[in-house]
Amino acid sequence: MHLTDHISDVQLNEYLDNESADRAEIETHLDSCDECAARLSALQALFTDLDSLPEVTLSTNLAARFTSDRKLVPQLPRWLTLTASLQAAAALVALIVAIPFFSIMLPKIEAPSFTELLFELQSIWASWLDALSNYQLPNYQFTDLPTYPVELSTLFIALAIVSIFWIFGNGLLLRNQTK
Amino acid sequence: MNAPTDRDLILRARRGDTEAYGNLVARHQTGVFNICYRILHNRADAEDLAQETFIRALDRLHTFDFEREFSPWIRRVAANLCLNHLEAHKPSASLDEERDEDKTPSPGEQVEVKERSEQIRSALASLPPHYRVVVELRHYQELSYDEIAHELNIPLSDVKSHLFRARKLLAEKLHAPD
Repeated sequence: MHLTDHISDVQLNEYLDNESADRAEIETHLDSCDECAARLSALQALFTDLDSLPEVTLSTNLAARFTSDRKLVPQLPRWLTLTASLQAAAALVALIVAIPFFSIMLPKIEAPSFTELLFELQSIWASWLDALSNYQLPNYQFTDLPTYPVELSTLFIALAIVSIFWIFGNGLLLRNQTK
Repeated sequence: MNAPTDRDLILRARRGDTEAYGNLVARHQTGVFNICYRILHNRADAEDLAQETFIRALDRLHTFDFEREFSPWIRRVAANLCLNHLEAHKPSASLDEERDEDKTPSPGEQVEVKERSEQIRSALASLPPHYRVVVELRHYQELSYDEIAHELNIPLSDVKSHLFRARKLLAEKLHAPD
């Protein structure tokens, strides 16, 4: 900025807002230029006017509306909400990781073929119908049913646990939205 | 016993404590209402927007960053809501016919101060919405140019030009020779 130039309106605004990088130069100019000093005074008067605006009182108490009308829903901690999403993701990853193990384990299970099982069930069903027609309870021992390895029960338990976690996680997420 | 801090009240409100949130509203309602009133210049609208501000704040309370102060945060929420309101109801630059209940020191000065306050409020209300909000953020919330630009998502050059033009218009209205 040349000292002979007048200070622009934008520069004056920046100066009064403490946003000017040329404060020293502007002050030097103001000391020697009555016209710019007068413009600065006019702007300062406006600032004073705006600062003098008194606070207005509220005619109603907004706080009372919140304490009487509105039930607050406790906000879940963010980590808990994130946990629900993470556990769903973890369950999905676990399922994908388990697929190769399933493909290895399933052939090792000594179960009868589907047709054998169907045939056996059909004969059981027929004998059960016979027993019903004679009004007698069937006296059949289920000794020939296939036996499953112990790992299958473990699989069911794991599935149940994942389901519980899944339902619990979704419950948490839904609870946060039922406002 | 010391009064609970804003942080304490927010933590309690997050757990569903209505009284805590009520205390927080009571603490900041006048400041928030005054922002709305300065921007909207209509008492009924200002009260509605002040209430809306606290409803919004309650909905976002779980995302509130404790590194920040609550008061500047809620004031900026109010300013933004008012700007949105003005943009949605553009031609409604209706002036409030109600008289202010200003806190004035003595009865002798009361009329003069009220008249001057009303002139300033009317002049502010006559500004375009963006100018009004920039003046509010700069003069009453004391934000820097960069902070205003960030808050309103506008370029720094726009902040400077809005402020300059707003002040020029205000000066013309308030300091014009009778």
